[in-house]
Amino acid sequence: MRKTARKGLNATILTVIMLGVGLQIAFSRSVTLNIIVMLICLAYLLYCRVAPQKLIIMLLIALPLAVGSWWSFIMFGVGDRWHSAWIYGSRVYAYLLLGAILTLTVQVKEILISLSLHAKLSETFVYGLLASFNLLQRIRQQFKLIQYSAQMRGKNYRPWQPALYLRIIIVALHWSEDLAEAMSSQGFSEGYPRTRTFEDPLPHWQWGLALGIIILYFWAAFFIHPW
Amino acid sequence: MQTMNQKQKRGWSLRDVIFLAIIGIFFGVIYQVWSYAYYVIAATPLKPYANDLTLGVWIMAGPLAGVLLQKAGATLIGELLAAAVEMLLFSSWGAANLISGFIQGLGNEIGFACTGYRNWSKLGLFLSTIGATIITFIWDWFQSGYSEYHIGLLLTLLIIRFISIGFFAGVLVYWIKKLVLKTGLNK
Repeated sequence: MRKTARKGLNATILTVIMLGVGLQIAFSRSVTLNIIVMLICLAYLLYCRVAPQKLIIMLLIALPLAVGSWWSFIMFGVGDRWHSAWIYGSRVYAYLLLGAILTLTVQVKEILISLSLHAKLSETFVYGLLASFNLLQRIRQQFKLIQYSAQMRGKNYRPWQPALYLRIIIVALHWSEDLAEAMSSQGFSEGYPRTRTFEDPLPHWQWGLALGIIILYFWAAFFIHPW
Repeated sequence: MQTMNQKQKRGWSLRDVIFLAIIGIFFGVIYQVWSYAYYVIAATPLKPYANDLTLGVWIMAGPLAGVLLQKAGATLIGELLAAAVEMLLFSSWGAANLISGFIQGLGNEIGFACTGYRNWSKLGLFLSTIGATIITFIWDWFQSGYSEYHIGLLLTLLIIRFISIGFFAGVLVYWIKKLVLKTGLNK
């Protein structure tokens, strides 16, 4: 295939940072740290040349959620309402940008293959997911078809009606069978070693960096307790 | 159908993975339809209500995978797959997606585990909805700051959450399972 020539960190490292810091954010109560996380992630995204327009749109889409969180603590909070409001309002953005450093800088395919190489994610999952993601457009199309065919019979499927899900399950059963057979006939064998044509370098210092960031966050969040 | 295939009751076949991933993507499409309604409420101080009202829909992929595949771990992995699809293809929550997917799947999984993975019907689903309600509520206590809300709101939210999870991840999943059995797809 091709050698990855990205500027940024390895996808596995980004995933580790995302989960390691993300999990701690839920328990830290600090506006300052949320803002620091946001700024570092933004700087990294710009460094990786993610289009600023894309970032602005993403930030705007999340604005209602952040405002909703913020506002709900002003209305229903107990104790230091303003502090809570800013913590949970900024937390929405901290999570969003933390996810973006992975999903906006690395292709889905690279993320999954990197995880299989460096994090021992089972290849059955990796290639199964990859195969299914290629169906995205067809699945959207099929979803519309399911609804049109219901309308032809004078019905409308709503998300709380089991019949909608039955149609989905039938489609998923057929397609998964077809796709799995197609993959086996193309030489995909489950549980056997594969020939690799994909290089995904992961220098040791990147593991050190991930560990350092996670420990630094832990220390800052639970020992320093900034505002 | 792979669901009842004894040989593969333990391991995960390529087909199981693709099956759940396709269902996960369908859920992603359904979530997009729902998210408009969610956004309208979530932009106001009523956001916690929006969270708890719609929570059942976000988590039903897990128990659905559980009752269809009927094996230990199917619920958790089903929900994680749906969350991964959601994060990679439709994301608006970023990193929180995968972590909450894990928490939600875990809650449902605990319910089925309580029956020793023997009951995938009413009892298993009932316990699974209780597990999910409790575990996700504890998670939101920290993650969404529920510890800072006053007690009246908290009780209301807990009830709304249980109704939402109970209907979507309990009753609706049970109906779907009955329909699947009726069509004989499991043969």
